[in-house]
Amino acid sequence: MSGFSGVLKLTDLDDFIAPSQECIKPVKVEQKSGRGVIRIENDGADAAMAVQPKYEKAKITLNDCLACSGCITSAEVVLVNQQSHDEFYRVLAENNSREISEKLTIIVSMSPQAVLSIAAKYSLGADECAQKLASYFKRLGAHYIFDTNFARNLSLLEAEREFLKRYKEKDSDPKTLPMLASACPGWVCYAEKTHGSFILPYISTVRSPQQVMGSLVKDLWATQKGLTPDKIYHVTVMPCFDKKLEAAREDFYNETFSAREVDCVITSVEVEQMLVRDEVELVTLSPCCLDGDLSSGSQLTSHPGSSSGGYAHSIFIKAAKELFNQEIDDLQWKILRNNDFREVILEVNGETVLRFALAYGFRNIQNLVQKLKRGKSPYHYIEVMACPSGCLNGGAQVRPESGISSKELVAQLEEAYQSLPASRPHDDQRVLSCYSEWLGGHDSEKTRQVLHAKYKAVEKNVNALGIKW
Amino acid sequence: MSTAIATLTGHKDRVWNVAWNPKGTVLTSCGSDHSIRLWSKEGDAWVCKTVLSEAHTRTVRSVAWSPSGSTLASASFDATVNIWDCREENIECVATLEGHENEVKSVAWAASGALLATCSRDKSVWVWEVAEDDEYECASCMPSHSQDVKKVVFHPTADILASASYDNTVKLHREECDDWTVFCTLTGHQSTVWSIAFNVSGHRLASVSDDRTVKVWQEYLPGNKEGVATPEGAPVWKCVCTLSGFHQRAIYDVSWCSLTGAIATSCGDDCIRIFKEQPNSDPNAPVFDLLLTIPQAHAEDVNSVTWNPTVVGLLASASDDGSIKLWDFSHIF
Repeated sequence: MSGFSGVLKLTDLDDFIAPSQECIKPVKVEQKSGRGVIRIENDGADAAMAVQPKYEKAKITLNDCLACSGCITSAEVVLVNQQSHDEFYRVLAENNSREISEKLTIIVSMSPQAVLSIAAKYSLGADECAQKLASYFKRLGAHYIFDTNFARNLSLLEAEREFLKRYKEKDSDPKTLPMLASACPGWVCYAEKTHGSFILPYISTVRSPQQVMGSLVKDLWATQKGLTPDKIYHVTVMPCFDKKLEAAREDFYNETFSAREVDCVITSVEVEQMLVRDEVELVTLSPCCLDGDLSSGSQLTSHPGSSSGGYAHSIFIKAAKELFNQEIDDLQWKILRNNDFREVILEVNGETVLRFALAYGFRNIQNLVQKLKRGKSPYHYIEVMACPSGCLNGGAQVRPESGISSKELVAQLEEAYQSLPASRPHDDQRVLSCYSEWLGGHDSEKTRQVLHAKYKAVEKNVNALGIKW
Repeated sequence: MSTAIATLTGHKDRVWNVAWNPKGTVLTSCGSDHSIRLWSKEGDAWVCKTVLSEAHTRTVRSVAWSPSGSTLASASFDATVNIWDCREENIECVATLEGHENEVKSVAWAASGALLATCSRDKSVWVWEVAEDDEYECASCMPSHSQDVKKVVFHPTADILASASYDNTVKLHREECDDWTVFCTLTGHQSTVWSIAFNVSGHRLASVSDDRTVKVWQEYLPGNKEGVATPEGAPVWKCVCTLSGFHQRAIYDVSWCSLTGAIATSCGDDCIRIFKEQPNSDPNAPVFDLLLTIPQAHAEDVNSVTWNPTVVGLLASASDDGSIKLWDFSHIF
């Protein structure tokens, strides 16, 4: 099960896409109207003899497959086959042969961690790499290329607002804190499955940058371009397979248009494979600027704090300012039990008023959940990520070349990420106008619908025949 | 000689595992009836002093005592491990370790008493650290094997952990930098490795398998005089002996006596066998003799054997037949 985070590898993926014994999805057989032959029976009754229908190969859409619980195909096979670069190639080919009026608009949104991973492989600078990738995807038939950092601005702002609200309620509602980050689908899916209704109320409802991008592309941008969501094929480039599971969630499916907000997730290693398959030398491509509509700017940006989004960082600073009138620039993180478990506190008049933690990797998630269950968690916010060292070390990032260890590569990527110019969501005009023009304000129904998500406890699939001994 | 000195009955279903406390005064057993029983000698008879039956909701697969003798850990198919405080008459469950995805197969304590290891059908090996106030925290969750992990055992002195699996391998783990990691994989068995045991010094490891053989592995440290290469300065383990042709069925457990050096095996052919290294054996190609076979030691598969840590020749065995037997083999040493 390569490509997925360690957290999802340790759980049973089949419980998310609950396969059972046989596919029970009724396959629609096209009724072809044709010449019926009437046979007169001996007793005068007549029976229409239908022309023997020629059966087409049964096809099930990904939607139907994932929504149903009747398939023997394992979850992994479904996800990896239906949401892979092979699927992307198929869609591109199909699109190329369509009439202009029938063509889909193909959008590619790239995450900074995936870009940096590919940049390191080909010894390119971050922007150079992003632009050469843009060039490559456009060559294949994509129309617009964005990066996901603009979307992340919205995700961060929403997380800040949610935290402030919850902090103010903490004395009346003991279950409102600690607030747990929601950007990592490895963590969220694991939580839904293993700890269900106990842990879900603690998790932030804010969507991850990938899914905010889904909303931006299929709602805001689509409307501006006069397109409906089903006329757009939205591909994201991500550092792990867990993001494929996230994109396939029910919550991110538009019923009206039968369209996903993110249609296909391809990963860093898959881009590497695509370049090899197409015999393309990325370094030789001429750079093509990313499209401005939904990208962070003319250059790739970062957010201060962790390279997995900087959630704890931005929320801490905002809370310190809004709740305690403290202006903080830099956070002093203390490493606790291991490198992937850190904390930072704010003391005002000798009292600890804010206590945040970073908990990355399965062992730290285990400890965090067990502490919560025993009511012994001292934290107000925890940035939880499934992968040790965070997204730069995602399950589907490009493997290090021989001679360099994984640790060394991640350290290199960290440095590369930290040297990207920092985004300042609070001052960004485009972000502010998203709220005023598209969403109708910070607390609107639209904001809740389009920037937030819902969670559901997943039942363990106890099908004896499905157990792998 | 071939008869048990005591037969302990009471379990209502198969007994999976037996373990002696460090002093050798209490025998603990566990099984499919979800219970844990503690047995000790009263006069000449062995009696069941305690039955712990409410804590697990499924088969208890394995029990292990902490080196101090004050704490007992029990691993269950209900995916949890319970920690019992045994200092008082009244044994209490003071902690429950949760997190494994499914059946926990084995639990083991490190020599320091500060670490605990568990393994499961979920293919992973976990290391836990004992914090204050009966708090147990996950130090590492390793997806070590590609199949069900049957047994974990710590080195007698160092913080080195061995695990045996349905994937036919034994893996050795240790802490490196920030986390635990596999530093050596022992391949050679043709089928599931059911159990493993270190010898008293920790320089050798015995493994028993569904392939009906016992293998003895030896550690070669960097700079060893035999000239065995140790890439990247890590110790290398080589198989120095394979005992085949003795067992008729899968071998389920092995115990390596710290007092006599004898190896006891328990088998699916209902027998118990005792092996010992020939004196003056070549240390790099040791020869082990079969000293004794107890045919029909039990009426069914013998799931577990364990040497008493303080009384020479005293062996306990547990079986699918629901009984536990005690044997006195002191005469052969």
